[in-house]
Amino acid sequence: MLKEILNKFLIIKGVQAAVVIEENGEIIESIKSGIVIDANLGNIISTVMLDSKDTAVQFGNATLSMVFVEYSESFLILGPLAEEFFLVIIAKNSANIGQITYEMKKNQDAIVSFL
Amino acid sequence: MIDQLPEGKSIGWMQAPPQWIFSHTVRFVGVVRIVIQDGEGFILIRRGTPLAYYFKHGRIELKGHAALDYFNSHPTIEFNLCRYTPEEFVHATKILHIDEHGTEVIPEEPGPVNKVIPASPSAPVREPTPVVMQQTTKWPAPSTTVNLPSGPDEYEGIPSGVPQAPLDVVLDADDIKLIGQIKKLNGVVAISVFSEDRNIILMGDAEIEPLLKIARNMLATTRKITPHLDWGTFVHMTIQIPEGNVIIAPYKKYHLCLLTTRTINIGHIRRILRDLQQTGGPQ
Repeated sequence: MLKEILNKFLIIKGVQAAVVIEENGEIIESIKSGIVIDANLGNIISTVMLDSKDTAVQFGNATLSMVFVEYSESFLILGPLAEEFFLVIIAKNSANIGQITYEMKKNQDAIVSFL
Repeated sequence: MIDQLPEGKSIGWMQAPPQWIFSHTVRFVGVVRIVIQDGEGFILIRRGTPLAYYFKHGRIELKGHAALDYFNSHPTIEFNLCRYTPEEFVHATKILHIDEHGTEVIPEEPGPVNKVIPASPSAPVREPTPVVMQQTTKWPAPSTTVNLPSGPDEYEGIPSGVPQAPLDVVLDADDIKLIGQIKKLNGVVAISVFSEDRNIILMGDAEIEPLLKIARNMLATTRKITPHLDWGTFVHMTIQIPEGNVIIAPYKKYHLCLLTTRTINIGHIRRILRDLQQTGGPQ
């Protein structure tokens, strides 16, 4: 199921959470390790999603491919799935971003099939 | 008058505060060609010393300090640094009827000559303050596009790693050199340093106003979420669209905005941005 696919991300070293979320912040499915996924995090992700979509529009209505927000300890990567659904990966800075983005692209269709 | 000056060798277009020109041309001999909307002008410079200022917009001509004041009335101006050979420099001074120190030289034969526009080279460079123009013409807003094909450290005007005279510049020579190095990275289309209220410098091929708007929107997003995250200090935010990436990151008391191609090595950019914040520059 969806959790099984999301678990593929969690086994990547440094990944703390994989979340499928709607634009309004509603969490569809999530899998986590050592991190709390609550309404606060949902609101944060929602803010990033909506603001980034607005920003992309300023590039001649460009579609958003990915958003990456990094802090000194952790980062989040957000990729669109279908319509208003997004996949969000939260990881420690030691995580391999290339591996994460590769898995995001590789599993996108499988995740969308569950939405 | 502008057309009569030798072309010189173009080093590149850039956009920066007028003060930047004076503080970064200590080894530069040539003409700085300035474009402000439909008007154009120049500053003749010999090793950091401005010898002549000139600006023309339609029928209005500004010479000497009137031109300088007009340049300084803009937070940033767009200009092209054109290096002169010694021969070209001498030719330019003859056209402007000044000597190598900017002092007016009376032509031997009377006739329809260009007026001398000495810049009073010994006078201190003025602070950038708004100027009330004598003319009734409404001047257009400063230009916003910029094209600097290569890093600024490629020309002689940038002293390598030596901070310049204590003019009221917001970025020092090391900053400019660093920004130029980042601009040279494969895949970096443009890089801007911006503050809350203005662009400070832009290198590369981009229109600054739309870019700044986007950068500020991204900054606003990070400010909304950062207080609610316990993930340490903000390093960068990257938005990827099919055409490329827009990246913002803190830089000293300002912010950087990078436009890159999709093919750029994001890992490399991440390392640079981290180094900037931890040590002040790439390692």
